Amino acid sequence: MSKLTLKTEGDRYVVVTRRFAAPPEAVYRAHTDPKLVQKWMLGPEGWTMPVCICEAKPKGKIRYEWANGKGGGFYLTGEFIELEPPRRIVHVERMHLPAVTPDNQVETTFAPDGTGTMMTMRMTLPNLETRTRMLSSGMEQGMEASYARLERAI
Amino acid sequence: MELAEPFDMSQPAISKHLGVLERAGLIVRRVEGTKRPCRLAKEGVEVIDQWLAMLRKALASNYDRLDTVLADMKPQKSRRKR
Repeated sequence: MSKLTLKTEGDRYVVVTRRFAAPPEAVYRAHTDPKLVQKWMLGPEGWTMPVCICEAKPKGKIRYEWANGKGGGFYLTGEFIELEPPRRIVHVERMHLPAVTPDNQVETTFAPDGTGTMMTMRMTLPNLETRTRMLSSGMEQGMEASYARLERAI
Repeated sequence: MELAEPFDMSQPAISKHLGVLERAGLIVRRVEGTKRPCRLAKEGVEVIDQWLAMLRKALASNYDRLDTVLADMKPQKSRRKR
């Protein structure tokens, strides 16, 4: 069973939860230290993040650039809004595909759960036009095989 | 009108909800005289499912990698404490 839960909340939000076997301090740091973010926030296999700017302070800049090593890529920009280490991060982000998607405000919370952390991430569900664009962009490249595997797994 | 019947809601309230669904791309409405017949927009529903599946897949990969990053952080932390 997957440790990840992903649910829609009404027609406007997506809520994701995931437990980690590390205390909130560590999970928070892995979300705000660019050297650590660069190691895991890579999406599907085969992608890397050559540029990772993550200024963890209010109004601090976020810029993540992804590349698939085959000339494909896209990037995300954003800003931090609120930071309450080690419990809560609120930031806004947008994808550049290269046309820019509407702002997505994301609230991520880290709650102690035994010796680990329960993370809850609440984000805006993009509208149909944005979803279609994200699906048909480079984000989907190289993912079709994964989808097929996923569908078989379900 | 017919859509409003089973609900304890006014016609304008129902129209408002349908407007939300239409803007979200989940239903399609057309004009037929004074009627506004609706149908489910299959493509809209499918795009949501596909999009959520894409998000789930990307996040699952990310967080599995994050597990490894967190496991590697532990020795660093204990070194600092010493």
